[in-house]
Amino acid sequence: MTGYIIRRLIVAIIVTIGIAAVTFALLHLLAPSPVYAVLGNKARPVAVAAWNKQHGYDRPEIVQFFSYLWGIARLHFGYSYKLSQSVSALFKENFGRSAYLSGAALVLSILIAVPVGIAQAVKRNTIGDYTVTTLNFVLYSMPSFFLGIILIQFFALDLKIFPPGVSDGITTTWEAITHPNQLLLPIVTLTFINVASFSRYMRSSALDNLGQDYIRLARAKGLSERAVLFGHLLRNAALPMITLIGLSIPALVQGNLLIEVLFNYQGLGLLFYGALGNEDYNILLAYTILGGILTVLGNLIADVAISVADPRVRLK
Amino acid sequence: MTDPTRPIVEGEAVPVAGAGAGVTIGVPPQDGHGPEGGGVQSVQSGWRLALREYFDNRLAVLGLAVLIFFILFSFVGPIVYKTNQTLTNPLVTTMPPGHGHPLGTDANGFDELGRIMKGGQTALEVGFLAALMATIIGTLYGAIAGLVGGIIDGIMMRFVDVLLSIPYLLIVLVLATKYSATVIEMSVILAAFSWLVPARLVRGEVLSLRVRDFVYACRTMGGGNGRIVYRHLIPNALSVVIVNITFLIADSILALSYLGFLGLGLQYPATSWGDMLGNAEQNVSSGYWWLVYPVGAALVLVVLAVNLIGDALRDALDVRLRRR
Repeated sequence: MTGYIIRRLIVAIIVTIGIAAVTFALLHLLAPSPVYAVLGNKARPVAVAAWNKQHGYDRPEIVQFFSYLWGIARLHFGYSYKLSQSVSALFKENFGRSAYLSGAALVLSILIAVPVGIAQAVKRNTIGDYTVTTLNFVLYSMPSFFLGIILIQFFALDLKIFPPGVSDGITTTWEAITHPNQLLLPIVTLTFINVASFSRYMRSSALDNLGQDYIRLARAKGLSERAVLFGHLLRNAALPMITLIGLSIPALVQGNLLIEVLFNYQGLGLLFYGALGNEDYNILLAYTILGGILTVLGNLIADVAISVADPRVRLK
Repeated sequence: MTDPTRPIVEGEAVPVAGAGAGVTIGVPPQDGHGPEGGGVQSVQSGWRLALREYFDNRLAVLGLAVLIFFILFSFVGPIVYKTNQTLTNPLVTTMPPGHGHPLGTDANGFDELGRIMKGGQTALEVGFLAALMATIIGTLYGAIAGLVGGIIDGIMMRFVDVLLSIPYLLIVLVLATKYSATVIEMSVILAAFSWLVPARLVRGEVLSLRVRDFVYACRTMGGGNGRIVYRHLIPNALSVVIVNITFLIADSILALSYLGFLGLGLQYPATSWGDMLGNAEQNVSSGYWWLVYPVGAALVLVVLAVNLIGDALRDALDVRLRRR
C-alpha cells in the first residue's frame, strides 16, 4: 500500500510537470511576455527590452520554464502585474471562499444523490423513477449558468427570498459561511448540476447491487426492507461515489468559475475570469496548473480511498 | 464491444455491404456474452439490428426529431424568415414580442427569433466540426497507440493523461482569449482538448479486439493485417466511436455556450447562443425575459436531443444492453 502510494505520487509529480509544461508552452505561444499588459501597447522597444531583461523574460523559454517550475515547488506562482500582488497571496485570499462554495455543493449533492439514486433503483420503472431520470437528463444538458439564471428569476426576482448576486460585503470565508442567505443560490445551483451526474451513477450502481446474491440472502434471512437497504445496499452501492467524487474535481473547478461569474462571488473563478480580460497571464497559468494538480490529486485520493473502503480492490 | 454477429467461420458469414460483420447461423456463442439459450437471431447485419433497436426507442426518435427540427430551423429558417442581423437599429431596441417581431428585439435592435436561428447555425457548426475533428484525431492516435503497443504506446498515453488532467474549460478559455473569432478557430480550440477521450476509447477497443478469437481465426485462415484492421477492428471499434461523437457534439455546444457567456465567444457580427446569454442576468432583472428563455430553451433542447441520441445509440449498439 505504502509502496503503491509512493509510486503513484511519483507519477503524479511527473504528470504535474507535464501539465505545467503544456500550459506554460501554450501561454507563451499566446504572449511571450506580459510586458505589453504592463507597459501598454505603445511601449517603446527599448523600454520593452529593459523590462523583459529586468523580469527575466529575455531568457530562453526552457530556462524560464525551469525557473517557473522551481517556483511552483516552493509555492511561488509568479506575480500579477495587473493586481500588483503575488499570485500566491491572491490565491490564499480567494481559495477559502471557492473551497467553501465547492465543498458545500459537493456535500449537499452527495446527501441528495445517494438516497435519490437508491430510491430510483428500488422503485425502478415507476412514474417517480422516470420523472427523476428525465429531470436529471434535462439538468445534465443544461449549462450551469442558465440553471442559475432560472433560479435567480424565481427565488430572487419573483419571490424575493434571496439576493440575485452575492453582496460585495462578503469579503472573507468566514463571512461567506455566516451569511447562508447570500450563498444559498450559488451553492444550490452548483449542487443541482452535480446531482444530475451523480444520481445517474448511483441509480445504476444500486440497480447492479440489488440483483446480487447478498441482497437476496439478506432478504431470505428475513431482514426488514429498511435493514436490507440501509444496512447492506447503501454501503456497497455508494462505493462508486468515492471514485466519482475524486473525478468531479475538474467539474467543480469549472462550475465554480461560471457560478462565481454569474453571482459575482469573489473567489478563484472570478479572479481567473478577471485575468482573462486583463491578460494577466501569471494568474491564468497558475490557476490552470492548480486545476490540473487538483485533478491529479483527486484521482489519486479516490483510488486510495476506494481501496480502503472496499477490501476487494487491491492496489498493486 | 461484444458482437454476437461476429463471424466465427469466416466462409459461412453472410457479407452485407457496408457492414462490418455478418452472422453465422448455428454456431453457439463462444464466450459468455452471446445470446443466451441459443437464441440466435435471424440473418441480419449488426448495423441493421442496431438501427431497428434505435427506432424502437421512442426517446431516441424524439431526440432525432428535435435535432432535425433545429437543423432546419437554423439553416432553412433564415431563408424563410428574413431578418436584418448585420445593422443595428436603435429605434427598436428591447421591444417585447409582437409588432412583427415574434420574439421581440434585443439591445441592438436585432430581431430575436432571427438571432436565435443565427446562433443555432454556429452552435451546430461548431458542435459537429469540433466533434468530427476530435474524433478523427482521437481515433488515429488511439489506433496507432493500440496497434504499435510497447513503449511508444506508453509514452503516447501518458501524454493523453497529462492533457486530460488540465481542466478543459480553463485551457480552452485561455486559448479563446486569442483564437475564438471564427467558427473554424473555435472548433479547432475545442477539438484540441476533446480528442483525448476518443483516443483512450479507441486504444482500449483496439487492445481488447486484437487478441480476440475472431481475429486469431481470421489470421489462422490467412487473413492479413489489412483485412483484420478493415474487416474486424474498425467495424467493431466504430460503434464506440459513433456513440462518443454524439457526446462530443453535446459537450462542444455546451462549451461554446460557456465561452460566449463569459464574453470570449465568436466575433461580431457572428453570434452564438452563449453570446446572447452573456447579459442574461441583467436582462432578467430588467424584465426582458424574451432575450433569455427562448434562447436558453433552444440551447437546452439541442444538447438534450444530442444526449438522448447518444444514449440511445449506445443502447442500440451495445449488444449487452440490448433488450431481447
